[in-house]
Amino acid sequence: MVELKNVDVHYTDGPRKQPDALNDINIRVNDGEFVFIVGDSGAGKSTLLKLLTREIQPSSGRVFVNGYNLKKLRNRKLPQFRRSLGMIFQDFRLIPTLTVYENVAFVLRVIDKSKKYIRQRVPYVLNLVKLNDKAKAYPGQLSGGEQQRVAIARAFACDPKIIIADEPTGNIDPKLSYEIVELLQDINECGTTVIMVTHNHDLVKYFGGRIINLKEGSIAFDGYIEGE
Amino acid sequence: MRMSNFGYLVRRGIGSVFKNAMMSVASFFVLLVSLLLIGLSVIVAMDLSIVMSNVEEKNEIQVYVNGELDQTTLNHITDAIKNNPNYLNVIYYSKEQAWEDEKAKMSDYKDLFDNLKENPMPHTFRVTVKDISVISQTADELATIEGVEEVMAPLDFASALVDIRSTLSVIAGSILVVMIATSIIIIYNAIRSSVYARKQEINIMKVVGATNAFVKIPFFIEGMFIGIAAGAASWFVTKVTYEAIVQLFREDLTIWRIFGLVNIIRFDDITWYVLAANCVLGALLGAVGTIISTGKYVKV
Repeated sequence: MVELKNVDVHYTDGPRKQPDALNDINIRVNDGEFVFIVGDSGAGKSTLLKLLTREIQPSSGRVFVNGYNLKKLRNRKLPQFRRSLGMIFQDFRLIPTLTVYENVAFVLRVIDKSKKYIRQRVPYVLNLVKLNDKAKAYPGQLSGGEQQRVAIARAFACDPKIIIADEPTGNIDPKLSYEIVELLQDINECGTTVIMVTHNHDLVKYFGGRIINLKEGSIAFDGYIEGE
Repeated sequence: MRMSNFGYLVRRGIGSVFKNAMMSVASFFVLLVSLLLIGLSVIVAMDLSIVMSNVEEKNEIQVYVNGELDQTTLNHITDAIKNNPNYLNVIYYSKEQAWEDEKAKMSDYKDLFDNLKENPMPHTFRVTVKDISVISQTADELATIEGVEEVMAPLDFASALVDIRSTLSVIAGSILVVMIATSIIIIYNAIRSSVYARKQEINIMKVVGATNAFVKIPFFIEGMFIGIAAGAASWFVTKVTYEAIVQLFREDLTIWRIFGLVNIIRFDDITWYVLAANCVLGALLGAVGTIISTGKYVKV
């Protein structure tokens, strides 16, 4: 579960205070939900994601993610908290020197899973994103859509409670974008909460569901729309 | 942490040494030279202290007493000498003995000695000192003993020895400091460039919940691997260099004997200590360089 209560974030530029990046935000995302977060550039989407991964702290208000109070979370507990999240980025962030298999296995090693578990889990998640036959390929040998599927497999490999996808369709062919969202919906159906940030309004209209629209740091809309 | 995952980190650390070949080779050679100079300085310093003590043993203060010396005065002077804090040993050499020895030495001039009515030789106490650096002060103190006429000490020689020793200590100390600093700086740069090369990987690790230790272990392995490899190589170079230097001196037997070089350290006797010390110091320098370079840049 994700909960933001009266959250304000403002950045300072030297002695000058900047306009609020987020202003009095109240959001609650229940377990198993699929939420689109939309908004123009500078609306506060990135700031919101940084709050959820605890890259930054709110200036005021409270943030709870997966039962962790992020304001009180100590640095030594940060790795443990982050293991409960799966992150997907616009630029994929795969390690170019590792194969597809090794990229997925890498995060499992990071969270100290056994060799046996890794040998079972990696083929399973690669099968889920239909990339079993590309296990030995390097990221550079894959298309953008395929690379993003590897990133999804990597995020899902750790069996996180929440997947946070930051513009996952931003760098890929518009046609393939639908496949990526469908894949995330499949994962969501397994019980994983998915929070997807996008500025692709067509995609949001097509799939529908819960939409949170940010405008100039505030919530302009939080509700459900019907898909096409 | 599981052994299999630790093994994985070790492999990544060692792999990084070869991926980052240019910096690794540069660090390896700088470390090798540093450890070689440090190792040689330490061994030469140990040798010098052996040589110094050999020379010091031969070095003595001569305390002269003219005229007759009764048993009470002899005991008084001997006790006073023994009470000096720098006293190590004293040999009493009577004027009669000195006279006989002198006559024996100069037997060709026997007539000269026959014409002398009195024995001109003084009573002599040969005093060996513990610390040559305060020989001048000791000589002054011995001169104040009642009944002592004159004190002779090889002050120039002693001060030359003291000067040599202190100069060498300063040189060895400076080499040590400069080389350790240089080694740490080069390892720091090697690891920083490795951190930079793996920036993306580190970011991913942070995002998926890697601990600080997990992120840093490969860099430690990399730094320590370079350090240990340089340590082992420098042990070999130290051995070859030291034995070549010893051989050079051995060819000149006069120097060899005068300075008591017969007693200096044989490399074979300390070879394992040198190997262990080089590897430990190399690993330590690698670790310190890594701590400094990763402390700031690799933080979850």
